[in-house]
Amino acid sequence: MLITCPYCGPRDVIEFTYQGDGNRERPQPASQNLDAWNAYVYDRLNPAGDHNEIWQHSGGCRSHLRVVRNTVTHEILSTSFARGGHKTESRS
Amino acid sequence: MSPRRTETGGRIDRLRTIRFTFDGAPYTGHAGDTLASALLANGVTLFGRSFKYHRPRGLLAAGVEEPNALVTVLRGEVREPNIPATMVEIYDGLVAVSQNRTPSLAWDIGALNQLGGKLLSAGFYYKTFMGPVIGPLKGTRFWMFCEHFIRRAAGLGKAGVAPDTSRYERMNAFCDVLVVGSGPAGLMAAKAAADQGARVILADLEAHFGGSANWSGETIDGMLAADWAQRMVAQLGGNDNVRLLPRTTVWGYYDGNTLAALERVTDHKEVAAKGEPRQRYWAIRAGTVVLATGSFERPLVFPGNDRPGVMLAHAAQRYAVEYGVLPGQRIALFTNNDSAYRSAAALKKAGAAVVAIIDVRGDISNEMRRLASDAEAELLAGHAVIATEGGKALTGLKVQRFDAMSGALSGDERSIHADSLLMSGGWSPTIHLASQAGAKAEWDPARQAFLPPKPTQRWIGAGAFTGSFSSAEAIAEGRAAGLQAAGGAASSAPLPVVEAVPGDPDPAPVFEIKAKGKSFVDFQHDVTAEDVRLAHREGFVSVEHLKRYTTLGMATDQGKNSNVPGLAIMAEALGKPIPEVGTTRFRPPYTAVSIGSLAAERFGDLKPERLTPMHDWHIANGATMYSAGLWFRPMIYGLAGETVEQAYVREAKATRESAGIVDVSTLGKIAVQGPDAAEFLDRVYTNMFSTLAVGKARYGLMLREDGLAFDDGTTWRLGEQEFLMTTTTANAGKVMQHLEYFLDVIWPELKVTVTSVTDEWAGAAIGGPNARAILASCVTGTAVDNAALPFMGIVHGRIAGVPVMICRLSFSGEMAFEVYSGAGYGNHVWEALIEAGKPFGLVPYGLEALGTMRIEKGHVTGAEIDGRTTARDLHLDWMLSKKKPFIGSAMMDREGLIAPDRLELVGLIALDNRPLNGGGHIVEELDEANPHDSLGHITACCYSPALGKYIALALVKGGKARHGTRAFVSDPLRNRFGPVEIVSNHFYDPDGSRMHG
Amino acid sequence: MAEQHLPERQSPLEPEYHPGSHGNFEHGVDVILSETRPGSILQLAAWPGEEKRLIEIIRNVTGLALPDGAGGGVSSGARAAFGFAPGKFTVVDEAEGFAQAFAGAITPAIGTLTDLSHGRTAIRIAGPKAEWVMAKFFAIDFALPAFPLGAGRSTNHHDIFAQIQRSGADQFDIYVFRSFARSFWKALCHASEEVGYEVQ
Repeated sequence: MLITCPYCGPRDVIEFTYQGDGNRERPQPASQNLDAWNAYVYDRLNPAGDHNEIWQHSGGCRSHLRVVRNTVTHEILSTSFARGGHKTESRS
Repeated sequence: MSPRRTETGGRIDRLRTIRFTFDGAPYTGHAGDTLASALLANGVTLFGRSFKYHRPRGLLAAGVEEPNALVTVLRGEVREPNIPATMVEIYDGLVAVSQNRTPSLAWDIGALNQLGGKLLSAGFYYKTFMGPVIGPLKGTRFWMFCEHFIRRAAGLGKAGVAPDTSRYERMNAFCDVLVVGSGPAGLMAAKAAADQGARVILADLEAHFGGSANWSGETIDGMLAADWAQRMVAQLGGNDNVRLLPRTTVWGYYDGNTLAALERVTDHKEVAAKGEPRQRYWAIRAGTVVLATGSFERPLVFPGNDRPGVMLAHAAQRYAVEYGVLPGQRIALFTNNDSAYRSAAALKKAGAAVVAIIDVRGDISNEMRRLASDAEAELLAGHAVIATEGGKALTGLKVQRFDAMSGALSGDERSIHADSLLMSGGWSPTIHLASQAGAKAEWDPARQAFLPPKPTQRWIGAGAFTGSFSSAEAIAEGRAAGLQAAGGAASSAPLPVVEAVPGDPDPAPVFEIKAKGKSFVDFQHDVTAEDVRLAHREGFVSVEHLKRYTTLGMATDQGKNSNVPGLAIMAEALGKPIPEVGTTRFRPPYTAVSIGSLAAERFGDLKPERLTPMHDWHIANGATMYSAGLWFRPMIYGLAGETVEQAYVREAKATRESAGIVDVSTLGKIAVQGPDAAEFLDRVYTNMFSTLAVGKARYGLMLREDGLAFDDGTTWRLGEQEFLMTTTTANAGKVMQHLEYFLDVIWPELKVTVTSVTDEWAGAAIGGPNARAILASCVTGTAVDNAALPFMGIVHGRIAGVPVMICRLSFSGEMAFEVYSGAGYGNHVWEALIEAGKPFGLVPYGLEALGTMRIEKGHVTGAEIDGRTTARDLHLDWMLSKKKPFIGSAMMDREGLIAPDRLELVGLIALDNRPLNGGGHIVEELDEANPHDSLGHITACCYSPALGKYIALALVKGGKARHGTRAFVSDPLRNRFGPVEIVSNHFYDPDGSRMHG
Repeated sequence: MAEQHLPERQSPLEPEYHPGSHGNFEHGVDVILSETRPGSILQLAAWPGEEKRLIEIIRNVTGLALPDGAGGGVSSGARAAFGFAPGKFTVVDEAEGFAQAFAGAITPAIGTLTDLSHGRTAIRIAGPKAEWVMAKFFAIDFALPAFPLGAGRSTNHHDIFAQIQRSGADQFDIYVFRSFARSFWKALCHASEEVGYEVQ
């Protein structure tokens, strides 16, 4: 499987670390809403189809990426930096 | 001249004689021979014994699909089993042996299995050896008892036990177009793509490029097809943008057009050049793949179709045309299609007598009739072979009139004298890679074959792979595929002109002749047509279940010959058309792949390892090294005759009495920099760091999001916006990822950079009552007294001219300092400290003494921060700030995490004065015969020189409340039982007076 | 503080560094391996939006004008610079103490400077088979059009993280963690035996 890092270009999946479901929303740090924390820490979507995921290019530029991947076909539909703001042009 | 070698013909070099042995007997062959062709030339007919029945077997094929002639190749002590003799290129000194025979190929006691053939039908092992349902040998136990004997009697070659010292390598390759297969289609595709300027890789599993052009005998562009192919190869070889990979099997097609290939670099060589790998594993990322993988000729299923001398028709043609070897003197052919007539013509031309062509079809075209008559072969249309005769070689066969529509046999049996029977059951495109790439094959009723599916990845098919069996089609499709793959426009330029004997590509839909006797479907796993029907009778309707029950197609050849005939027979039994029975999906690898090639260089001396700057000093000074993850760290610096325990006790004692020094360079070190660094640390650690003064360090604890303890370490504030975080050695990578995740994903607004500086700094921790005096004697540029360097203070100075950073902190519980210097100076500083320490009796100590002193102090490490413990469990609740939220703060007080029966950190003293073991359980009442009711377990243990006792840290229910009570260690695995006293984890100097000094 | 005489930095490769020709060199040496031992290896990082200012600072201090785009870099003998991650650059100089040259220039508003002069080891591979040998380790495309002169890449070989700069048509500079350097060097020598190599 190849993942196209917006900075490094297409790289083998062995350079990446899966960092989980990208749909989760972290409650405000001071939030005491245990249900919300519980959902954030433990609940994961597990669709058969397109899925928003976080991957780290740990064996490359170390950026975290938002990846839309089809969990059935392994097709990668899109990748983008998890951390916005960097203007560096990507290499196709 | 060998008995079966023709005077001329073939691409072998008759001037070069190669000497080799097979089963100990010496043979000769010629350069260019395979082991199969050379032995065949020597008149060898018997190549192996079959898997289950130990039947004698000869060559069936000439290529990679060979199921019978599997051999073991020996190189010194190293043996590689299960290689098709057809894929072994001979070299001087080759030693090959046959398999699955005792004591010899000719006299095999396992052949007795044939007498009990009925017993060994499909599912025999399951049915017989699953054992009684009750009693001591019930179920799997009985199977396990029998398995040993069964495995010995059945099976393929034996793996060796000698370590394989061959070199294997991995290679990463990128190309615009990967062409798999180098027949006319592949050659045209590679040429067309290369001419467009694309980066092209052309791979073929055979040693010689050309595929069917090498043996078809056709004419292309006015020259022999084989010569045309060699001209194409020469042209391709002259291109900088083309890489030719002969002897390279593309065995896996993965997501993202990533393909795996195995190149046999030196298997065909007597001696490898220096540094040359035996095999290379190619990981190829291709823009587009052209699949020109050709097709396999199918066997026909009839009684005795496995007798040595029965061979695929095109294989015989290959032996004759490519190697100048005739499989027999009197050849008969048995076919359901036209291609065998071309083989007959080629063999006749090579000098063999073709005695008969037996064709299941009643209606034969005039062209084929003419070919038969040109070959002077008797044509028996509407006939079938019903039996073969002979022992270890074929002597004759029996035919009978056959109706292709009904499958009925009629009329008198007739015997034909022949020493070679060639069969052709039609052709199956080699669609394995396309199937691996993700889509389902489609049945073509005209071709009676599975054709490749629509591409689900970027590949284009060409030639016989697509079911286009003629060379002219292959050439046209190949060029079109190559142009398309390279992004070029279709070409209307004239194509190379092929002159070939025409023939109908569609066979008669006949797969099996039902007559008395064993008719083999899967030669390698000894699965007969009757086994398939038996499976059906016993209720197996799914093709997947059929495979598993009969083991059809599950041998090393993965059903390359048997797949379609097996399905056809199953379909007939089910009364369904073949496409409704379905085919199984092919999975990698296409052929057997050596484990060595997958491991490549990642073993032994070449495994990645991490060394500290002082590594060589440790080795030179007698350290026994210990691998901690990828790091190597001193375990002890043992003296002559010392045990490990004696060594660490001596080291720890010397440290507490005077001074000791330990290499702490492996601690994870992360530079945390930027305007928001302090804020970030406040969020990451349970305690405050924004309040830490510049030039001071603080012990910090991190939790995970779920509230459990994660890692601990000291973090030093080197500047207003600059911190040096230390982590445990084991968690350095995990902590780094944790920090990066929060900065990238959760708090992108924070201006903080985190950088691994583990390798930037060498660290030496020097501790003990004399540590400060030693430092004072060698540090310049700063004082190290209490005023200048209080507990958790940091100073900068020099040692032996080298800038150092010194922080006063303690893990051993003694007055101690961590001395950091640039890694390139690490050994220099270390040696200066050792020298300065000599008057004080400074000793270097290893991990064992380090561990001992930390147990005495009751500090926690990864053994206690084990992913299940909370800060409270470890008595670190004093570190949980109430002034701010931090990672894990919301979850750490959940009901289950503050329950009174949680395991808490305690100390243990062995009351029987015997060593304790990590993992031993703690119980209230001892019952050695029936250990139960664990209160917890030991996490770390040692002999404490400070206490003069065997002690341990443990996680125990109730924790502090049990201090001063007695319990027992119960460790049935190591038979260690005995009384312990539960005490505080702070065994030694609990108020810290020694380190605060 | 007065400049004191510093001892020579120890190379992590020392016991495994054997100058001379090795491997299958009878037919010629196809790669040359060396440790370049630059005095300074620096990591410069810009906050999002500050990349252009940082590139400008790098140009002012080093004289190297980094081309736009991911992984862009320049190598000019004594000095080299390249991007290796979004907003992050490696700057290398043969002299020690080059971090001083950036002091004051990289303000907290722009980004950070991290000195990795001891923490990374620089290994150079040069010669007609450099791409071939590199391809044994790293799953990236080393062909010149895909990996232009001066450009930088971040990748890894098993657990060994590496930054690679193309410093010549057939020359690469590889920066690895110091603790892994000896292990990587041994593997690099091993992989170069096939083509014949010289250690300089």
